[in-house]
Amino acid sequence: MSALLELDNVHAGYGPTSVLHGVSMSVEEGAVVSVLGANGAGKTTTLRAITGGVRWSGDIRFNGRSLRRMSTEEIVRRGIAHVPEGRGICTELTVDENLKLGSHLRRDGPEVRKDYDRVFEYFPVLKERRRLSASTLSGGEQQMLALARALLMKPRLMLLDEPSLGLAPIVVRSIFQIIRSINESSRVTVLLVEQNARIALDLSSTAYVLEVGRVAVHGESAELQGNESVRRSYLGY
Amino acid sequence: MQEFLQQLVTGIAAGGIFASLALALVLIYNAMGLVNFAQGEMAMLATFVAYALISRGMSYWIVFPVTLVLAFGGGIVIQRIVIKPVERAPILTLVIITLGLATLLNGLAGFVFGYVPRSFPSPFSAQSADILGVFVSYRDLGVIVVSGLVLLAVYLLLQRTTVGLTMRAAAHHPEASRLLGVQVSWMLALGWGLASAVGAVSGLMVAPILLLEPNMMQSIIIYAFAAAVLGGIESPLGAVVGGVIVGVTVNLAGAYLPFVGGDLQLAVGLAIIVAVLVIKPNGLFGRARVRRV
Repeated sequence: MSALLELDNVHAGYGPTSVLHGVSMSVEEGAVVSVLGANGAGKTTTLRAITGGVRWSGDIRFNGRSLRRMSTEEIVRRGIAHVPEGRGICTELTVDENLKLGSHLRRDGPEVRKDYDRVFEYFPVLKERRRLSASTLSGGEQQMLALARALLMKPRLMLLDEPSLGLAPIVVRSIFQIIRSINESSRVTVLLVEQNARIALDLSSTAYVLEVGRVAVHGESAELQGNESVRRSYLGY
Repeated sequence: MQEFLQQLVTGIAAGGIFASLALALVLIYNAMGLVNFAQGEMAMLATFVAYALISRGMSYWIVFPVTLVLAFGGGIVIQRIVIKPVERAPILTLVIITLGLATLLNGLAGFVFGYVPRSFPSPFSAQSADILGVFVSYRDLGVIVVSGLVLLAVYLLLQRTTVGLTMRAAAHHPEASRLLGVQVSWMLALGWGLASAVGAVSGLMVAPILLLEPNMMQSIIIYAFAAAVLGGIESPLGAVVGGVIVGVTVNLAGAYLPFVGGDLQLAVGLAIIVAVLVIKPNGLFGRARVRRV
């Protein structure tokens, strides 16, 4: 069976600056795959290429179909939820309105209602704050809102860009636990970009380590965790 | 006292007209951070279209919705043809383009319809109603009711429907909205269509008072700017409140300050713009914007 998401020798960049120099990856359906690496290695650009936020060459295939020349809106409508760097919360809107934006394209009413129930089970705090402006939420709550909203899109693949960024360790742990249950019980494939290699490797089955726009190492997460030299040179712990 | 109340009602009616055009300005400002200087001329052209339909014998109450639909379509066409190709241009370029568009539409209306002022029918009787001893003209009441209904409809559309929600999201957070599957570019076009339709209401309401000619909206747009700025330029509610305040102020100043009279009313509108920008640049409902640099 071919992978749900495949990147094939992807080059990408911003204007004259190229950031990715031939990245290839494959993400199996149902897996959690992490992308690690230092600042500027191209992790965020990889995600942005997938959802059409940056020009790229090579090939990116989702569910067997090339995403070449597709607009971000079309790509997203095919079942990819991208929680971007900085979470992409609409702070002008209420919590409820943000959630509605997640589900606004869906036509399966009863399923949507079930998904709302599930989302509020994961994140009870969002239910309490439904009517408040999203700008009043703390960083951790905003991350929860971003995840909840992505889940309401009923995606096959979730792209998560640094969900741990700027959050207290205890909040990070609970958010990663929820990402795990989203993957396990909702059967959502997850591609996770993280600076925090330790927690990302704990969660993922496979990992790619990027170094200046190339895949330096990839393999089973457990294997990378066990490999002393990989850990020292690339993961910094 | 009676005369004061009558002037007050007339001021509120004028405020409804300003509020409609101010709301149109705010809708586009929110969508792309641009003050659309062509908004008044777009409204004027829509009013001429209504005039052409009415003079072909169509009833006013059919022409009214038809004109709004045509104005809506016209706004979308303008956004697609004139604005979209330069969407990412610097804001000054866009401002110049809307100024050019204003001149173009003005000239077009003059070319097609001429510059002779024409009387435009009002659907409301010129009689006055006696409400608790205050004589209020049906025209003023009609203008207040119609603009009130239009503003309410826009509010419900933006706040209570999914389209309205995606329009607001696209306006404030285009990148994040795209990732949620919102077709941002089309939402901007819808915003232009909606603004054009709302602006057309002000043209239709003011034409029976001022007589219809290509320069009809040029004073109204000043009052609308004053209203939008007073309301905080990005707040739809602010535009409405600002419109009523400007309408009442200008009208009372004209009636009670001998040196203002009818001639300097426009100067009062301009004075409001200057005063707001000097004293409270964020207006009544605007939020101070903090930008990290």
